[in-house]
Amino acid sequence: MSVTAPTQAPAANPLREGLEQERVPDASCLVIFGASGDLTGRKLLPALYSLAHDGLLPTGQTIIGFARPDFTDDAFRMAMREACDKHARTRPVDDAIWENFAKGLFYVQGEFGDHPAYIRLNEKLQECDRTRGTGGRRIYYLAVPPQFFPVISELLGREKMVTDPEHGGPFTRVIIEKPFGHDLQSAKELNKVAVSTFRERQVFRIDHYLGKETVQNLLVLRFANGIFEPFWNRQYIDHVQVTVAESIGVEKRGSYFEGAGITRDIIQNHMLQLVSLIAMEPPVAFEADPVRDEKVKVLRALREFPKGHEQENAVRGQYADGSVLGEKAIAYRKEPNVNPESKVETFAAMKVFVDNWRWADVPFYIRSGKRLPKRVTDISIHFRPAPYPMWRRLRGVQTQPNVLAIRIQPDEGISLKFDSKVPGPSVRTAPVTMEFRYATSFGAEPPEAYERLLLETMLGDSTLFARRDEVETAWAWLDPLLNAWTADPRPPDFYPAGTWGPESAERLIERDGRKWRRP
Amino acid sequence: MEASVSTLPLEADVRVDVTSIEKNLADLWRSSKEVSDDALTRAALWNVVAHTSNPTTHTEASVALGRASATVPQRSIIVRADPAAAPEIASWISANCHLVGGGKQVCSEEISIVAGGDRVHRVPPLVNALLIPDMPVAVWWLGDLPNENEDYVLALLDPADRLIVDSVHFDSPADLMLVNRVAEKTTTTPADLNWVRLAEWRQATASIFDPPHMRGRLDMIRRVRVIAGTSGADFFGEIVESLLYAGWISAQVGHHVDSAGKVEGPLGSIEYNIERRKQESDIGGISYAEVAFDDGSCASISRDRERGILVANVDGNVSVPESVTRAISRNTEDLIVRQLKHAKGDQVLLKVLPVASRLAKRVAR
Repeated sequence: MSVTAPTQAPAANPLREGLEQERVPDASCLVIFGASGDLTGRKLLPALYSLAHDGLLPTGQTIIGFARPDFTDDAFRMAMREACDKHARTRPVDDAIWENFAKGLFYVQGEFGDHPAYIRLNEKLQECDRTRGTGGRRIYYLAVPPQFFPVISELLGREKMVTDPEHGGPFTRVIIEKPFGHDLQSAKELNKVAVSTFRERQVFRIDHYLGKETVQNLLVLRFANGIFEPFWNRQYIDHVQVTVAESIGVEKRGSYFEGAGITRDIIQNHMLQLVSLIAMEPPVAFEADPVRDEKVKVLRALREFPKGHEQENAVRGQYADGSVLGEKAIAYRKEPNVNPESKVETFAAMKVFVDNWRWADVPFYIRSGKRLPKRVTDISIHFRPAPYPMWRRLRGVQTQPNVLAIRIQPDEGISLKFDSKVPGPSVRTAPVTMEFRYATSFGAEPPEAYERLLLETMLGDSTLFARRDEVETAWAWLDPLLNAWTADPRPPDFYPAGTWGPESAERLIERDGRKWRRP
Repeated sequence: MEASVSTLPLEADVRVDVTSIEKNLADLWRSSKEVSDDALTRAALWNVVAHTSNPTTHTEASVALGRASATVPQRSIIVRADPAAAPEIASWISANCHLVGGGKQVCSEEISIVAGGDRVHRVPPLVNALLIPDMPVAVWWLGDLPNENEDYVLALLDPADRLIVDSVHFDSPADLMLVNRVAEKTTTTPADLNWVRLAEWRQATASIFDPPHMRGRLDMIRRVRVIAGTSGADFFGEIVESLLYAGWISAQVGHHVDSAGKVEGPLGSIEYNIERRKQESDIGGISYAEVAFDDGSCASISRDRERGILVANVDGNVSVPESVTRAISRNTEDLIVRQLKHAKGDQVLLKVLPVASRLAKRVAR
């Protein structure tokens, strides 16, 4: 295989130096497959508009919706304007900014497997290259179910709509939404499809958790501060807890959830990303491959579920009737499009070990569920107690382990709990917290995860995206547990909606002499 | 963030003895704990010292910093120093509280110090003692920079990481040089609210050169023309924003500006023009800018006041879609917030100041 030298990139724009918008990508055509879907209206277009509002989109950036319904450009613009009015972070929508943004908004009607539609799409793309200066640069966003990936990839390849700077052409990138497969085998098949048309570095797998400010701040907290890293190991840390809780049920996604369950929906991707970021070694640079190399090492070090005893360190639950935030909530089995005998888990908790030098025998307790008391994502690092209980003979002194809590959402922030002497003549202690809250310290609302991730794709930086080996390693670890659950004839442990999961989840941690932190 | 003002008693100004300001602040927080328990958080990311010389600017600083503290919590120390006033020194404390959601309030401390006569010289050590340790210090100088009492100014700037001025008040190019000297001779980084106002013009101009095929045109610049909105008076400060804009293009593109203000680029001599145009509002702001190229094409940026945007276009034998940049707020508190949100000083401004000073000799007549 011959490799052509990349074409010379023009020098950076010197007038951008020092501006808030220092990194502005080159204008490209972003094609959204599945543009009539919920994701486009709720997340993608509002995120793109907010980027335009903040001056982060390049002049000439073009967005082309591709979907089955028969829209005109104007009808598509109108629908997207309504979507931005409802969902954009930077509301109310600024008419002047919208007007300019909408000039770069087009629509091509077509079925995903309809070859002539791709010819029409390609003509439109070439027209935009001429009129909007997009220079042949392409980003394809596959906001479609995974079964359409093969046909879309094949037709893009057949129409020669994929180019690569390594072969002297402008860039083409493809963004894929989760689920990245249903198990290891299907993930491998999907990845095979992706790399049959694209190279791995052209593939951007979105896990929107990685676009969250607080998730990115995990790396800053650990590696930009001198004080944490020396304590970030088995010598000082007793255990780690990660909770991803949702107060809502499956809503309209019953049929999807029946084929997925919380483990595939949340744990395989979001939670294992969080575990990787907590446990990873310092990367040699904050760049795509060094960061992802370290994350994948963590996934490879996850202790396998013992064969035949896969369920020993894992529990699954399903919500029954109950109430959440004072509202009555029906059982999962009564939700629309859900099998009344369903065994699908809406809650899972696991005790996980990262078998490496840093984390040997430190348990990571992770749990995620739907219809829990509140929506919260929280990581807590529980430190070992002080080595010598100096005040053990004094009444009123009951020291507690230090806890570093990182709140991913909502009310993002970090707090450190430690003991302090209560003022007075006797020695009494009480736990106090030092708190950092984004809202308090920085005021401004952080950008939406999709804004950051779309911008990073345009800039060609894949640091915040999952790599093929990350996805496959995560599936390889989870598959035995999922298979064991599938083979188990017993139903999941039921929990009333609005509680923190089944009692078995409490027992999972309490048998180790620990308790779930109330996030 | 919406700045909702609380009704806590600690918001009122409390006169305190200058020797016990910290103690009184501690008492204030202790009493607030009794009033609202843990729904109230004291926060600070900066020490901001506002230096004023009369009651009007003192009030202006107090209002601006009170509002700015909703976004950038800070300990504000507002000094009113007037050597011509009666010899006295007095201080007040208060808090600026803002709701941040969930019923929680974040409060920033405000200390006012009023000094007159020879007591003015007690201000720098007093301010120094009141700074929160390990927090950056910004000194915001309201009004024209003093060219006298240099010891006093230097003492006040001694702990400062940043000096914030507003060059719209400068009465001569010497003031630009003075700011430049602060950068060269001290560890204090200068910042200019006029430079913050310029951000939208820099953004709009930069957007013209974002398309890869436009970047080469930066070497083809033949003329830069800027129209400054003025009141009709021949006051230097009214064209400083335009001067900074011209200096910025020159510095970033790599034009050579000699000591007489003559500019040379890769294609030879380059013309820089700053024109004054009388207008009713936005005095001191830029109303139009134009960059002409060697092949006769021309990029222009104009302000659409009604729609609150700047529109950039390129005419001639090159095709670039029109770009639109949202105009930023020009309220003082918003400019201060934008300034304080950057932990480090602006290195580009440091490059631009000497160039703008040299350009002033030629174009700022």
